[in-house]
Order: sequence, then structure tokens, then C-alpha cells
Amino acid sequence: MTLLEFASGPGLQWALWIFVFGVVWRLIGALFLLARKDLSKPRRHNSVAAGLGAIWSRSTPAHAFEKRILFQHVTGYAWHFALFISVLFFAPHILFFESVLGFGWPHLPNTIVMVTAIIATAVLITLLIRRATHPVQRFISNADDYISIVVVLIPLVTGILAFAHVGGRYETLLALHLLSVEVMLIWFPFGKLMHAIMTMPARYQAGTAFGRRGVKA
Amino acid sequence: MRKDQTLGEYLQSQGVSRRGFLKFCSATASLMALPPSAVAQVAEALATARRPSVIWLSFQECTGCTESLTRSHAPTVESLIFDAISLDYHHTLQAASGHGAEAAREAAMEENEGEYILVVDGSIPVGNKAYSTIAGISNYDMLVEAASKAFAIVAVGTCAAFGGIPHANPNPTGAVSVSDIVTGKPIINVSGCPPIPVVITGVLAHFLTFGTIPELDAQGRPAAFFGQNIHDRCYRRPFYERGQFAETFDDEGARKGWCLYKLGCKGPTTYNACATLKWNAGTSFPIQSGHGCIGCSEPNFWDKGSFYNPISAGMWGSRDALLGAAAAGAALGVGSAIAARARKKKAQAAEEA
Amino acid sequence: MSNEAMSLQDFRGLLEKLRAGIAPREMSDEERVRRAKKAFMQKLNGHRAVDLDSCLQCGMCAEACHFYEATQNETYAPVYKFRLLRRFYRREMSPMRWFYRVFTPDITAEDLQNWQHLVYDACTGCGRCDMICPMGIKISASIRVVRHGLAAAGFVPPEMRVLRNEQRDQNTLFGVGAEQLKALAARLGEQGIDVPLDREQADVMLLTTAVEVLLFPDALAANARILNSAGADWTIQSDAFEATNIGIISGDDPTMKLAIRRIVDKAKACGIKTLLLPESGHAYQTMRWEAATEMNESLSFEIVSMPEFIASEIKANRLNLKRQSNGASVTYHDPCRLSRKGGVTQQPRDVLEALGMEVRETPSNRRENYCCGSGCGEFVMQSSANLRQKAFEIKKGEFEEAGADTVVTGCANCRINLLIGAEKSGWQTPVTSLVETVAANLAD
Repeated sequence: MTLLEFASGPGLQWALWIFVFGVVWRLIGALFLLARKDLSKPRRHNSVAAGLGAIWSRSTPAHAFEKRILFQHVTGYAWHFALFISVLFFAPHILFFESVLGFGWPHLPNTIVMVTAIIATAVLITLLIRRATHPVQRFISNADDYISIVVVLIPLVTGILAFAHVGGRYETLLALHLLSVEVMLIWFPFGKLMHAIMTMPARYQAGTAFGRRGVKA
Repeated sequence: MRKDQTLGEYLQSQGVSRRGFLKFCSATASLMALPPSAVAQVAEALATARRPSVIWLSFQECTGCTESLTRSHAPTVESLIFDAISLDYHHTLQAASGHGAEAAREAAMEENEGEYILVVDGSIPVGNKAYSTIAGISNYDMLVEAASKAFAIVAVGTCAAFGGIPHANPNPTGAVSVSDIVTGKPIINVSGCPPIPVVITGVLAHFLTFGTIPELDAQGRPAAFFGQNIHDRCYRRPFYERGQFAETFDDEGARKGWCLYKLGCKGPTTYNACATLKWNAGTSFPIQSGHGCIGCSEPNFWDKGSFYNPISAGMWGSRDALLGAAAAGAALGVGSAIAARARKKKAQAAEEA
Repeated sequence: MSNEAMSLQDFRGLLEKLRAGIAPREMSDEERVRRAKKAFMQKLNGHRAVDLDSCLQCGMCAEACHFYEATQNETYAPVYKFRLLRRFYRREMSPMRWFYRVFTPDITAEDLQNWQHLVYDACTGCGRCDMICPMGIKISASIRVVRHGLAAAGFVPPEMRVLRNEQRDQNTLFGVGAEQLKALAARLGEQGIDVPLDREQADVMLLTTAVEVLLFPDALAANARILNSAGADWTIQSDAFEATNIGIISGDDPTMKLAIRRIVDKAKACGIKTLLLPESGHAYQTMRWEAATEMNESLSFEIVSMPEFIASEIKANRLNLKRQSNGASVTYHDPCRLSRKGGVTQQPRDVLEALGMEVRETPSNRRENYCCGSGCGEFVMQSSANLRQKAFEIKKGEFEEAGADTVVTGCANCRINLLIGAEKSGWQTPVTSLVETVAANLAD
């Protein structure tokens, strides 16, 4: 079995199994700890709307904070947009998603995706440097924070190399790209990459809790 | 051709001009990535070469490789090179048969011990050696004996090189490749289903010129021909870069000759010279005629999923397996939460007691 | 109107005496850790679990914290303040505890001791960080759980322990109980302010606080005058008047429940329709949003803060007010537990505007307002005095930017801290309470 055969066959299968298994395990395990029913009289009754509202509103920080977190805000948006475009609108990626989901969507020209991938990589490296140097971030960071950045950074770099056919034979680079994605998938449920899943329930519960008290989350 | 005639003399007697011969030599030299100064050396070596003895064994095969080589195109230098070797045994091509043929093979092996080239096409069944026999001799035994006295072995076609289609799942005959059986002898894998004819002659020319085997890649294939993938040399590559893909075999993109990646082309992971040498005297190759590469020169090409699955689709398993993983995760999640809550309740009860 | 009140100076003396009167809690390290873990376990639920599992460690919360902003001390990042709880969660309660336990260090008594400064001195539980978190994590709720753990382990500032014991065992605070309230009510009665003490049945039950009785008797007088002016059928109960809940401030569940129970039982006995809360932010948070759940019953009466009550009385035309015409300007300081944790932000502004005052906002206001610097009872703690003063400077800067003549707030705790801060930094702008401002403008 070649490296690529392993990466696109059993490697991928196991990674996806562990990913799905771990994500559901962690999500359900946290939610199922449950909480007592709040018996106070709500100021506003539509808690579902408040919860959904918070999913949106927490993407836009309150005006009073904007000045102090401008850098993180801008890099955060740049990173996530560049990443989503690179992952979701690259033709070969869409073919992969189509094979899993059963449907596809239009892709962007490869050159545009290459630009977003390079932007994403540059922003992520910037964020990595900031984490290692900013007093608060450096102080609060643990291994998970660095591992999570690195396991996302490597698929980006190997993806760019595989696309550009630089640094090795195509199937080797493709295999490394797949393997690094698999490492990322396996790490995902155990580390803080899980935030991508937790965003929804976390923001939703904040929205309902604040909404109950008549406060905009 | 007489046995003591040189290749040069023979070609001349067949009406091949000096100019035509040199053209072949320079083409061969460039294919094998030799410097231009080597052309004269190739020409000199080929012109004066004595006919080497070649024994050709056909095992579990479809004769496609032989057909490809013999019927490729009307008399050319390549086909004449074949005439110029002393093909002492070729099960499919030779007139003699039965014990007479086997006697010829044994005689050639005796006479040229340690010097002849053994060409093999087809895979070898080892599950039950009786699946394929010639004159009562199993393929396995014949290969082991012939290989032991050969100078080098050329495994022609994907079956001989990697097991090929007989080796494909579920492999009922237990088919294996030449290199799975033979050790201690140089083996040159000329894979492809079938391989490109000029690659065979190129390898023989190299042997005639230098008396050695050419540089091989990790799969034991001549690096000069298998060093680059189809995708890198494909004339449709610019469409890939621009993201212009044929979505079906009869859409606008297909008519415009756009990239066949989405239709399952295996060009990016297939190493062969199709995109440069092409087929039928340089006329075309599969991608040019509108079908994606199926990766036939790679090991296990038959077992890598559908030819029409894009490379990036991946063999991710089944949706049911993923649902199973999700269900297992949910069960563990619920279980761990219930256990944690039970501990919490116990602590509370202890508090109140 | 001016009632005889204790000076800030004397109040600090009183706190000094409290502090001196209690010895540190002796307990073995094992016992401390065991108790802390038990408290953590009891307080951890699905909401906290989702929060703890969501954190990105982005550190933005530090940018919302006045203590970090004032000191640039990275250990004051709110995310770090609940790190201890996350360690416990990961080891003991998380769905992946078997995995995390391998490399997550266990809690030690030393950790607990170290965190005391972080969650008592360097956190007022104001929840400003809750508003900045991109994941919507209620950071202050998790920090509060850490307080619970430390309280159980005996790592509580001495003042809080004294006061907690006093509220739990004597039903008094700072020595203020039924007798002191009765005395004040009598004094107010002499001034012609009727305080209907201990009526058996009433529509409205007003609470007050020991701090009001001691330091701000005018606030109680103002509440009484407003209720009388609105013609409310009200009472105040000498054995259940205390709105302050040291249990919730210090992180002690039994005391918290006991204090709530005293009020709820009395309110039910009096058959009230409305429980009216004085100017106390945490009392509003406790009674309005947590009491029912803690008592495990739906409460039959409304729970309303004074700003809400006054605003609705004005709307219903039951209060006669003098409108100021001299263009006086005020800044309303939003108490955290009334605004972002309570949902009362518009009513106090409506009230001030109804008085004809110009409301000038600080750059951060309403749900994003900066803490006064001493919420959650911090003003009683000596250990955080310097830190509080640094945070107050931020608040002062905000007020100066707003540039109003007067600062008005709706929480006695905020008021004390703003007064102490102003005194220490020589800041001249008067700080007063909303109810006193309204009472001063009642048309008799």
C-alpha cells in the first residue's frame, strides 16, 4: 500500500470515524450534564429568537470594545473567511465533499483559491507569533493552543505545495496533505478546534440566558 | 538475419537509412535523458551490437501487451529492433509448439546462460500453481528456472510488473508479480496496460548500448519514461489551473477540451510517458481523445475505486459507518454525562446526610 | 433632608474591627481540596460545561476587564481566573475526562490559595467580559463557581467570612438588625415620613440593606417617600428586610439559600403582590433572577427594582414630580447586576429625563458599562483596596469624558466605591442615588 493509498483510504476512514465519534461524544457529553430549569419570570419570552440572535450578534463585538480588540477582530475575520473560501470553494475539495454529502456546489478559479490560501497561511502564522509574544495570550496558552494552530497550518502548507507541485512528487504531496488533514481531524474533537462546533450551542445558550433578562447578548 | 550479423548491418539490409537510424538513436537518447553527446555512443553501440538472446514468457495475460508491441505501427525502427533481437522463445508468436518449443527454450537458456534477457508478460498464480501451466510446467516453476540463468528480467505490462488485473481483488488465482517471486536479479518493470511500445525498445536499446539496465524509479520502472506524471505533462493542464472542468462527457467543457479531473482522470497520480510519447505513432493518447487517464501503469490501479471517481473524492467509507461512529460517540457522551451526574448526586446526598 | 449617617471613615473603622475579630480558617490541605472539588462538582452543569468546552483562549476577555486594563497584569485575564475550574472539569466531569486526566494537573491547596487573590480581589464579577467573548461564554458565572470552591475550602477574605457568619447566625449585618431598623423608622416617622413597619398584609414589601441603614438612611427615606407619594399599600419587615446576600457574594450556598428563604417566606406570609428591591445590584440579581430557581418554586409575586418601579409609576401618572428647568446634567452609572445582568438600563434614564435632566452617557454604558470597581461586596475587603483604586481611575476618566454635573447610580455598593474612590483621588463631582434624586424632586 502506498502512502497515498493509505492516506486516501484507511487513513481517511479512520480519521473521519474518530472525528465524528469524538465530536458527538464531546458535544453530547457536555450538553447532557443538563442544568436546572430556570424558574424566574422571563422578561422576554421568545428565547429561541434570542438564542439565534446571539449566534449572529457575537460575530460583531459591541462598539465599546472595538478599539481594544481591533487587531484580533480583523485577523479573526481575515483568517476565517480565507480559510472557508480555500476549503469550501476549491474544485478538488468540492469533489471530496460531494462524494461524502452527495451534492456539490460551484467552485472558484484555482488562482483565487491559491490567493486566499496564502492569505490564510500568512494570517495564521501572524496569529501564531502573536500567541507566542502577546503577554496575555502567551500566559494563558497551553499545548493545545499551539498544537491546534500547527495541525491547521500544515494542511494549508501541504495543500499549497501539492497544488503548485513544489517540493516533491504530486502523490507524495497529496498524501502528505491528506495525512495532515487527517491528523487535524483526529485532533479536532480533543482540542480547541472543537470551538467550530461549540460556537452554536455556546452562543445560543448565552443568547437565551441574556434574552430571558431582556439584555442583548 | 543471420546470427553473426550486427544490428547496423541488418538494419541497412532492410533498407533503413543511416539518417533514419540516427534519428531513432537521438530520440532514444533524449527519451532516456542522456546528453546529446551520447547519441553517437548510442548509434555506435547499436550499430555494432550482436543480437542478444531474448526469451519471452507469457503467463496470466491477455496478449494485449504483445499485440501492442507487434501491431503498434507499420514497419519502423522499433519493430525492426524487435526483428533484430534473437527472440528465441515466444509462446504466442513462434511457429513451433508443444515439446518442440520447450526444447528451443531450454536450448537457448543453456547456450546463453547468464546473458539472455528474460521478458515476462502476465502475472504468476501462486494460490494454486496449476491455474496456469505451459507444457505441464507451472508458470511459477518456469519463471524461477528461466530467471535463475538470465542476465536481467523485463516485466512487461502491469500484470508482470505489479500483478495487474489478475491480482485485483479478490485475486482468485493468488496472482503475483515477477518481483514478488524473483530476487537477486535486476528486474525492469515496464508497466502499463498495455505499455507504450517505444518504452520497451528504449529499454532494449539502453541495454544494447551500455550493457546495463537503465536508472529505475521506486517502482522499478525506467525513470526516463516513468519519471513524470501525466498531469504535469498534460496539454489540458492550463484548464485545471483556471478551474475549467468538463462536468460530463458530453457537455460544453468536454467539447472544448477542458480538464477531465472531475470525471475521474488519474493523471496527477499516474507516472507514464503517454502525454509526451503518445500512442499509435504519436497520434493521440486517452486524455486527448476525451477520456481521463485510468492510471493503468500504477500498482493496484484496478482496486482504487471507480475510474470515474475524482482523485480527491477519497475512499472515505460509507455513510452508515459514519452514522455508526456518531451513534457510538453519542452513547459514550450520554454515558459519561450520566456517570458524572450520578457522582454529583452522590456528593450532594453525602452533604445532606 | 439629612439623616444622621455613619461617615465613611467610621465605616472603615467598623470593617477594621470585623477583620481583627476573626482568625484564619484552619483546615488540612486534603480537606480543603476535597471541599473545593465537591463545591465545583455541585455547581458544574451543562451550561458551564458548554462554556468550558468552548473557550478559544483568545484572551479578548482581558480587554474587557478593568483590573487588567488598569494594571496590564496578565494573570488578571478573566479566562485565567476560571482556569482552576476548567482543570477540575477536564479531570472529573468532562465527557473526555479519561483523556484529559492524563496531562491536566490536579488541584492543590496551593492553587486554591493562589486563586483567592484572582477571584476575590481582582474580580468583581461584573461580567463585562461576558459581553466581549466571541463564543458567548458567561465567564463571570464560571469565576463565581471558583469562588464557591474557594469558600468551601476556607480561602475567603476574612471580612466576608465574618459577615457571612453574622448573616447566617444572627440575621444581622454590621450589627444592623430589627432593632436598628425600628430605630431608624421611628426617626423617620418623627420627620413625617411614614414607614409602615411589620404590617401583616400589604401589596408591596420593600427591602432595604444594613448599608443603607448605616450609611445611606436618606435612601430608605427616599424609598418611603416615593412609595407614600405613589399611594402604595406597602410594608417593610423588621425580621426580613435585608436585601444583601453575603451567601451569594462570598460563594456560600447554605447562607445564600437561607437569606433568600427568609425573604420569600415573609413575602408569602404577607400575601404581597410585589417585592420591591432597594438600590442593590446583587440583590436584584439574586431575588429577581435566581431566587425562584434556588427555592425550586415559581414565586407568586413580582420582583421589581426601584428604578423599574419609579419608571412605571411615572408612566402611570401616579408620581408628582418637579421638572428641573436649569438644565442640570447627570451621568447614570449602570450597576452591572442591574444592567447587563439584570436588563434594567432604560428605566433609570427615563426617570432622570422625566425629571428634566440631561443624561450624558459615558463612552461605555448600559451593557458595556465599566464596573465601579468594587462590585460583589469588594468594598468590604482590605486586600483589594489598591487594585480597586486603580480601576476607579478608569471609571473616573469615563465620567470626566461624559462631563456631567452629577453622577447618579442605582446601587449602594457602586455608590460607596465611587465615594471612596473620589475621596482618595480628590475627585469633586458629587455621587448620589437615583431614589434620592427622585425623592428630592417630589412635588409635595
